[in-house]
Amino acid sequence: MEVQKEAQRIMTMSVWKLYHSRMQHGGLRLHRSLQLSLVMRSARELYLSAKLEEEEEEAAAAGEIFPGQLETGAQTPQPHLETGAQASERVPQPLPLPLERISVAPEPMETQEVGGSLPTRLPLSEPAWSPVPPHGGASKPSRKRRSSTLGKSGAAEAGLVPSKKAKLADEEESERQPQRQEGPFPTLAKVLQDRFSGLILQPPTVNASGEAKPGCRQGDGVLSIMVRAVVAF
Amino acid sequence: MVGRMSRKLGVREESFIYLSMTTTEGDQPADIISTVEFNHSGELLATGDKGGRVVIFQQEQENKTKSHSRGEYNVYSTFQSHEPEFDYLKSLEIEEKINKIRWLPQKNAAQFLLSTNDKTIKLWKISERDKRPEGYNLKEEDGRYRDPTTVTTLRVPVFRPMDLMVEASPRRIFANAHTYHINSISINSDYETYLSADDLRINLWHLEITDRSFNIVDIKPANMEELTEVITATEFHPNSCSTFVYSSSKGTIRLCDMRASALCDRHSKLFEEPEDPSNRSFFSEIISSISDVKFSHSGRYMMTRDYLSVKIWDLNMENRPVETYQVHEYLRSKLCSLYENDCIFDKFECCWNGSDSVVMTGSYNNFFRMFDRNTKRDITLEASRENNKPRTVLKPRKVCASGKRKKDEISVDSLDFNKKILHTAWHPKENIIAVATTNNLYIFQDKVN
Repeated sequence: MEVQKEAQRIMTMSVWKLYHSRMQHGGLRLHRSLQLSLVMRSARELYLSAKLEEEEEEAAAAGEIFPGQLETGAQTPQPHLETGAQASERVPQPLPLPLERISVAPEPMETQEVGGSLPTRLPLSEPAWSPVPPHGGASKPSRKRRSSTLGKSGAAEAGLVPSKKAKLADEEESERQPQRQEGPFPTLAKVLQDRFSGLILQPPTVNASGEAKPGCRQGDGVLSIMVRAVVAF
Repeated sequence: MVGRMSRKLGVREESFIYLSMTTTEGDQPADIISTVEFNHSGELLATGDKGGRVVIFQQEQENKTKSHSRGEYNVYSTFQSHEPEFDYLKSLEIEEKINKIRWLPQKNAAQFLLSTNDKTIKLWKISERDKRPEGYNLKEEDGRYRDPTTVTTLRVPVFRPMDLMVEASPRRIFANAHTYHINSISINSDYETYLSADDLRINLWHLEITDRSFNIVDIKPANMEELTEVITATEFHPNSCSTFVYSSSKGTIRLCDMRASALCDRHSKLFEEPEDPSNRSFFSEIISSISDVKFSHSGRYMMTRDYLSVKIWDLNMENRPVETYQVHEYLRSKLCSLYENDCIFDKFECCWNGSDSVVMTGSYNNFFRMFDRNTKRDITLEASRENNKPRTVLKPRKVCASGKRKKDEISVDSLDFNKKILHTAWHPKENIIAVATTNNLYIFQDKVN
C-alpha cells in the first residue's frame, strides 16, 4: 500500500513537472521530457503491479468465500468488445462497464488493435473461468496493446484524440484542439488532473477479474501524454 | 599557516588557496554562470552566463614583487554573445544562455573562441587594439571630414599608442543546423573542423563554412514514440582527428571513427557498465544519464560524470570503467526528494588537471571534489566567500552521511541544494582552478613558496 501510494505520488509529480516544463523559458526540453516519462513509466509499473498483487489477494480471499459467483461473472458475454473482425466470435470476457467506451474506441487502428488482441485472449479465456488467471489474461493483452499502440488507445482514453463516443466528447471537445497545438496548454493540467483523479479516486470495481484493465488503460492514457509530449518535437 | 607547495600534483600535498572571487553584476537569473573554460595556454579564462554574455578574464603577468603567487585573473573583455530569439514557426523562445565555450588554439595575435546557445554557434575574434592611426589629411582627430580646399600640406598618418581596447567581433555564425537543443561543441585536433551535438544529432562543421554542415550521427527514431535515449555530450579525441565519442542518457558512451563511414550511426566501440541490480530504483535511469564526457590530455582515457559518480574509462576496455569515484553517494537515499526539487536533473561537469593525475567535479552546498588517481585520495573543498578569507588555505570539508556527526562535519540534511557547482575548469599547465557557483566565479591556486 505504501509502495502504491509512493508510486502514485511520483506519477502525479511527474505529470505536473512535465506540464510545467512546457512553460519554462526556452520551451520543452527533449531530454527532460524523456527522463520524466521514464520515471513516470517506472512508477506506473510499480503502481500497477502493487495494485495487481493487492487485487489478487482480495480475489483469492473472495474466491475462497464465494467460489461460484466469480465463475458466473466470467461467463457473462461482453458483446461490446466484438469488432468487425471478431463479429463471428463470441468472446466471453469478464470486463466491467467502464472499459466499454475505451475498447470500442473509434479510431480504426485502435479497433484493429482491440480486435488483434482479442485472439490472444481467447486461449486465456478458458482459464479465465477460474479466479486467478484472468489477471494474467487481462494484463497480458493490455501490455501488448500498450507496446503496439504506443499509447493511441490510451490517448483516446485521455481525451487527446477525438472519440466518436459522445459520452466524453462534450466536455473534452473544447480542450482537445488546444492540446493538439504546441505551446502553453492551460487546460492540459486540468484534463490530466481529471484523468488522474479518476485513476486514483475511482474505487476498484467489484468484478475482480477485470479490475486490472481500467487501471492499465487509464495509465496508458497518462503515459501516452508523456509520449505525446516527446512526440510533440 | 600554509603548507609547502609540492611539485607533485597530489591531492594530499597540494593546498589550494583562495585567490580571488568575481561576482557577476547582480543576483539576477541572467547572471547565472553556465560555462567556464580556460584557453590552451591558461592565460585566458572565459565564462558564459544565462544572459548570453561572455566574460573573459586574463591572468596578470608574473610580477617579481608578487612572487608568492602567480598572476591574478582580471576582467579582460565582456561582450554579448547571444541574444534571446523567437522561433515563430514553433512558437518557442530560444534561450540566450551560453551552453558551451571552446577556445581555438592561438594562431596569431587575436584569440578565437566558439560559443553556443541552444540553436546557434558563433565564432568570436577577440583582439587587442593599443594603437590608433593619427594624422589623417582629410579627417580631423574627432573624425569629422576636413574641407579639402583647406589642406595645404600632406602628412603620413602614424600609429600612436592608446589605452588598451579589447574588441570582440563575431566572425562566423553557424545557424539553422539543429532542430533540438545543442548541448556540446568540440573542436577537432585539426583545428579546422568541429562538432556540435544536440539531443539526437551530431553535426560536423568547418570553421570557415557557415552555410552547411555534415550530419554524422543521427539517433532519431523513425517513430518518436520509440525514443529511449538522447545524446548528452560529445568530444573529439585530443590527438586523433577522426575519432570522437558521444555519451547518452542511458549511461553509455560510443566511440566513432569518421573514416569508417560518412554516417557514424554504428559505433566502433561501446562503453557500458552493467547496472548493479541492488541499486535499482525509480530513478536509476535518470541518475545513470551521463552529463559530461572529457578525454584525458593524453588521449588514453576518458572521464564521464553521471549524477552520483565520476568514472574513468580506458579506451581499450569497453565493458567497465577502470576507476570509479563516488562524488556524493550519500544522496542515493535521497533521490526521491532530489526528484521533487528537480536537483536530480542537474548536469555536473568534470575536468582533468594538466597531468591527468587529478580529476575534479562539483557537488552541492558549493562543495567541489578532487580525486587523485595515483594516491586514491580525495578531498572536498568549499567555494564560499564567508568561509574563506583571501590568501588562506582552503579547509577540507566532510559530509556526515549517517550516524554521529563529528565536529566540523556537515550533515546531509543541512546541505543547501540551491548552492551547486556545476562548472569547474583546471588550468592546462598549472594548479589553478576556476569554480563557478551560481553567480560567482572563484579562482583558486595552490600555494607557492
